[in-house]
Amino acid sequence: MSSKSLIDAGKVSGRKTISPETKQSLLGLAMVLPSFAILLVVVIIPIIQSFFLSLSNGEGGYDLSRYTYLFTDKGMRSNIIFTLRVTVITCVLVMLVSYSLAIYMRFNQGPIVNLIRKTYMIPLFIPGVIATYGLINLLGNHGWLARLIGLVGLELPRIIFDQKGIIIANLWFNIPFTTMLLSSALAGIPSSVIESAKDVGVGRLTLFTKFIFPLSYKTFLVAITFVFMGVIGSFTAPYLIGPNSPQMLGVSMQQVFSVFQEREQAAAIAFFSFLLCSVLGAFYIRSMAEEEKAKM
Amino acid sequence: MQLSVRKLSKRYKTGDGVSGINIDIEKGELVTLLGPSGCGKTTVLRSIGGFLEPDSGDILIEGKSVIQLPPEKRPTSMVFQSYNLWSHMSVYDNLAFGLKIRKKPKAEIRAAVDDVLKLVRLSGFEKKYPAELSGGQQQRVALARSLLLNPAVLLLDEPFSALDAKLRHEMREELREIQMKTGLTMVFVTHDQEEALSLSDRIIVMNHGHIEQIAEPHKIYDEPASLYVASFIGKMNFLEGVAEEEGIRIGGLRLPNERKERGPVTAAVRPEDVQIDSMAAGEDRKDKEDRLTGRIKQVMILGHYAEVTVELNGFGIIRAFQSKEAVQQLHAGQEVGVSMTKWTVFPNNQTN
Repeated sequence: MSSKSLIDAGKVSGRKTISPETKQSLLGLAMVLPSFAILLVVVIIPIIQSFFLSLSNGEGGYDLSRYTYLFTDKGMRSNIIFTLRVTVITCVLVMLVSYSLAIYMRFNQGPIVNLIRKTYMIPLFIPGVIATYGLINLLGNHGWLARLIGLVGLELPRIIFDQKGIIIANLWFNIPFTTMLLSSALAGIPSSVIESAKDVGVGRLTLFTKFIFPLSYKTFLVAITFVFMGVIGSFTAPYLIGPNSPQMLGVSMQQVFSVFQEREQAAAIAFFSFLLCSVLGAFYIRSMAEEEKAKM
Repeated sequence: MQLSVRKLSKRYKTGDGVSGINIDIEKGELVTLLGPSGCGKTTVLRSIGGFLEPDSGDILIEGKSVIQLPPEKRPTSMVFQSYNLWSHMSVYDNLAFGLKIRKKPKAEIRAAVDDVLKLVRLSGFEKKYPAELSGGQQQRVALARSLLLNPAVLLLDEPFSALDAKLRHEMREELREIQMKTGLTMVFVTHDQEEALSLSDRIIVMNHGHIEQIAEPHKIYDEPASLYVASFIGKMNFLEGVAEEEGIRIGGLRLPNERKERGPVTAAVRPEDVQIDSMAAGEDRKDKEDRLTGRIKQVMILGHYAEVTVELNGFGIIRAFQSKEAVQQLHAGQEVGVSMTKWTVFPNNQTN
């Protein structure tokens, strides 16, 4: 080899090249970056801003007085309890109804299943305000259900402007999507798995507890997270058909912000709502991580 | 009788299904349901397992009717084509589950699982999950899961069809060995004739929802009951002829008419029962009473034997399996005499 080609070879080996793995990693990062930027601007920065705003005591200083108020004020405390109660009841009912519907559709055939399949998504296509207005007309004190059962001498209990009204509205808004999620999860369980379970002698209850539920657990968690977060931060239905007191946190936050003009207190409520959602989010992420770990 | 299927019928909306199926299986027998896709073999198997409700008929296991029982109540167990292991459970849990729900003591379950894992050569795999196993290992676990339940009848629905040829062969041998050791009664479904011939005590050949023949593998091969069985099992030559009082005439060839057939017939001849003889120079090229004549199209050496294809004068193609030594003198284009040592004659009006 001549001295010139030796020098050329040295130049080539000395040049820094990017490995295909690094290139792939950089490409992946570049693809994630836009969505992360949006998340940063729309969610993360406002949360940080709200947090700092909530710490402001209005006298130029920073303390936890806004949070102390959240837990010491009787009205505010009952708002939190009310919100949690409505959220938990809604989650339980939505999961019960949706899971039952999804299981019924997965393991049965016939006209009833076809009817459910064709209709259960309808609420998703009706705007929230219109659906809430419809519920007021249906279930209000002078709604047509009250008038109907009034004909036979019965009286409709207070539903609208009550916790019950919010829960019913939440069921209307959440059941379709949750049923859709759970149906697709159950459809992913092969019939052969069910058959092999029956083959070893598994009865209906064990089939559900040991096979159907564990195999759809991941989607169940996703669904319950969606419902929890959706309900805890809901505004339209609680605002339109909720009671004046106690209020859901979303309504309370709006009132504190717009009516009382206490931006710092509203920020504290917002940040607290975010923390509540984070608890479930953390639980969800932990469960997913555990499952992935188990598979490794 | 360990298993009896009586006049079983099941018709699907598509028109497929089975009708009038009668099967009797002795204790400890391994019987194969063999046939092409859609012949009804899986319908019969799933009906026995309780996964399908037949339109009519009865199924008796150890003399008792099980037709009204759901799968979980039947004394059967099924090994499925797609393994069907429960992905969220470890190998141990997959195996122990059936015993747990039967409320067996823990120590007994542990011992039984250890034994069955030894039997299927998977000791040490208890903690693994199905996704960590190869296809063959998964099917062994599936088999072990069924064996543990000690069923009166073990049903196997094309259990090796998803495996590669080598593994399939190994699993076949293992299954036969396990069946001999345990003495379990097994009903095996397959469309692979080689699998059926090598595994079974008896084979049930099915076609279009009915049974064509039930017999031992060698009988199915040597004495097919119908033209369909003759064509489905192994390689077969078919020669059209006419049955007369004095014999069956295929060109100049005469075969004895033992079944006293009349009219158009088809003679089925296995390639190994065909004899090829080179003709001497100046020998008459016409058919004789004991031979047909033709010209060799191809000689293919297939390892330890050779396949010789001969174009018969007026009777199409006939294939013969010959030893490597016998074909040394044969070559394409050569005029040869073709005789047969064994054949089966079927009337042409026989329904397939």
